[in-house]
Formats: sequence, C-alpha cells, structure tokens
Amino acid sequence: MNGFLRAAAVARKDLRVEWRGRQTITATGMVALLMILLLGFVVGSEPARAAAILWVAMGFAAVLGIPRVTQGEVDQQALETLLLYPGSREHLFWGKCAALTVMLSALLVALLVLLGVLFGVDVWDHGGALVGVGVLGIVGLSVIGTLLAALVLHVRGRELLMPLLLLPLALPVVLGCVRLTEAILTGTAAGLWPAVLVSFDVVSVLVCPILFEVVMDEV
Amino acid sequence: MTAQTGLGAVAVLLLGIAAYVSLFASPPDAFQGEYVRIMYAHVPNAWVAYLAFAITFAASVLYLWKRRPAYDHLAHSATELGVLFTGLALATGSIWGRPVWGTWWTWDARLVTTAMLFLIYTTALLVRGLSDDPLRGARLAAVIGIVGFLDVPIIHYSVVWFRTLHQPASIAPGSLKIAPPMLLALMLSLLAFTVLFMYLLRLRTSLARLEAGGEMR
Repeated sequence: MNGFLRAAAVARKDLRVEWRGRQTITATGMVALLMILLLGFVVGSEPARAAAILWVAMGFAAVLGIPRVTQGEVDQQALETLLLYPGSREHLFWGKCAALTVMLSALLVALLVLLGVLFGVDVWDHGGALVGVGVLGIVGLSVIGTLLAALVLHVRGRELLMPLLLLPLALPVVLGCVRLTEAILTGTAAGLWPAVLVSFDVVSVLVCPILFEVVMDEV
Repeated sequence: MTAQTGLGAVAVLLLGIAAYVSLFASPPDAFQGEYVRIMYAHVPNAWVAYLAFAITFAASVLYLWKRRPAYDHLAHSATELGVLFTGLALATGSIWGRPVWGTWWTWDARLVTTAMLFLIYTTALLVRGLSDDPLRGARLAAVIGIVGFLDVPIIHYSVVWFRTLHQPASIAPGSLKIAPPMLLALMLSLLAFTVLFMYLLRLRTSLARLEAGGEMR
C-alpha cells in the first residue's frame, strides 16, 4: 500500500465519519450562516461587501471546524491506534488535510449560493472562478489548519488557542480571497493576489507536513 | 566583574550616550519638529523585535533538529523579549503617530504586520505555558516560531497590497534621506538597544537554564 492510498484511506475514514454524524459541517455551517446574517444586517448587504463578509465567515467557520480534525480521535481514544498503523505520519497528515479541504469546499459552495440570494451578487455566472479562487485559499487554510489541529491537541484551552493561532497565520488567505472574490464579482484585475495565495500554499505544503511529524511525536 | 555584568554596563553607557545625542545633540526635524526624537526609541524597538524573532526562528530550527535544551532556552528567551519589544514598538509608534500622522492607529502594512507578530508570538508563549508537558511545550513553541517567521513576509505583502500609507523606510541603500546628526542619533540608539537586547537575552537564557536545572532535581 503506497503513501497515496494510505492518505486516501485516512481521508475516506474521516469523511465517512463526518457523513454519518454531519456534526462538523452542521456546526461550522451554522456559524458561517450566523456570521453572514449578522454582518449583512449590521454593515449592510450591498453587493460590494459580499466578498469581505463571505471570507470573514469562512475564517470563523474554519476556526471552529479545524479542531474537529483531531477531536474525533481524541474522543474515541483512537489517536494512538492511528499513529501505530504502519507508514509515515505524513500520509496521516495528507489524509486529514484532504478531508478538511473537501469539507471546507462544500461549505464554500453552500455559502456562495447563500450570498447570491442574500446579497444579490451574481455568483451564478462566475461560479467556476469563485470556487476556484476559494479552493486555492482553502488548500492553504487546510494545510496550516491540520498542523494547528494536531498542535493544540495536548494543550489546555485549545478552543481558545485555535483562533489566536489560525487567524493571524492565515491572514494572507483571508485578505487574498477577499480581494480576488471582489475582482471576480466586479470584473477588475486580480493584481498579484493569485501569487500571494499560491506562495502561501507552497510554503505551507513544504513546511507543515514536516512539522506535523514533530508535533505528533510522543514525549 | 563577569562578562555578563560588563555587557550590562556597556549597554547602560551606550543608552546614556544615545539618549543624550537623540534628546539634546541632534536637531529637531524640519517637518516633525521635536517629535522626531520618539523615532530614536521607536525604530530600535522595532529592529530589536525583528532581530529577536529571527533568533527565535534559528533557535527553533536548531532545537527541532538537534534537540539540545540550550537551543530551546534561547528560543524561549528570544520569544519573550521579542514580544516585549514588539509591544514597545507598537506603543512608541502610536505615541509618535498621534501628533505626526494625527492618529493613534492606521491600517498601514507595517502596523498590521507588527500587531500580527505580537499576537502570533504571544500565542507561542501561551502554548508553551499551557502545554501538558514542558518538553512538548518546547516543541510546539518551536513549531509556531518556525511557521510564524516563514509567514511574516507573506502577511506583510498581503497587508501592503490591501491598503497602505506608511512613509517609505528612511535608510535605503544608495539614497540617504536623513541629516547626518540625526543619522548618528539613530545609529547610536540602534547600537545601544541591540547591546541592551544582547544583555537581556543572555540574562534570560541563563535564567531559563537554571529553571530547567531546578526542575530536573
């Protein structure tokens, strides 16, 4: 069984557990929905604000959803078993990261539809580009998020630490996705933002799996 | 007199000279007036903060690679001092910004990046303190020290392109846009703060070493 199949097995397991319980996607979806309704009401639902509100909501949904990546194993006391399976920890990382990417992408699609309804922005014509940009951001969020989910495992007050770690570190993703979503919706130039997202993704993809193995080490 | 105390004495002496030159011997700025003197404290604070985080990064990489406690003591001490000087840089910048820019805070790239740095490294200290095991805490803090430092350039450019107003850096290679007496004051302050930082770093590192020794016994 090669590394790719191992990672796929982990991802399949995580997604199946999620599909049966649908806890993470429900909780993050509700938070994102609440953020969009609240921000839309408080700052106004002009189409120009849609991009910023969408990605603030995505950011908060990610903060809530990412600790769930490892929470299941902790609740069931299955983390040691998972770590004992043959193969590199890196495969475990990529499996969990892939499952998280799928979940956040599904959330993004749902939120884009909601945005089209609530903010009157034309998401239907630009659907492909909007999802494409979003997934570029979500990959970065998931890679760094998987590392952070493992990092806060053995720390007290991990629910408090996740936003403190994720929001500053993933700031470029949020800013980049806001500007790119605006650019797509208004038809203006994207500037250097794709480069920001790609460089964030590349740095995270190169560094996070290595650090994941360090974080997952037994004492 | 130990080398440690000697370094401290040099730091105090240099700080005295730098304070004299910046407060009395250098002229007021044509535009900023006397407020320019705040810069002689602000710029060195920011420089030392960035230096501290660079040291944290290097020490964290070395610690995860070699697993020698000395590197962790260095990383921990540099993080603490970095957070302290980042806080001072933000405070002095705000105090200077109020009369010169007319505002305490502006959504400028360097300000936002520095605030983000402050948050990331404060959280690194939190993670270390809240960890269930000191060895694990050291490892987790090192991981944040590495990820945070690699993220800084990306955060910086993303904030620059979002919107910006900060005046361009005063000392750029090739074009010196600062009067010689003021440059002297700035350079002296930079030197004084750097020596002070070295002194505090040595002090804090040996304290960390002693603390770790105390826990062993």
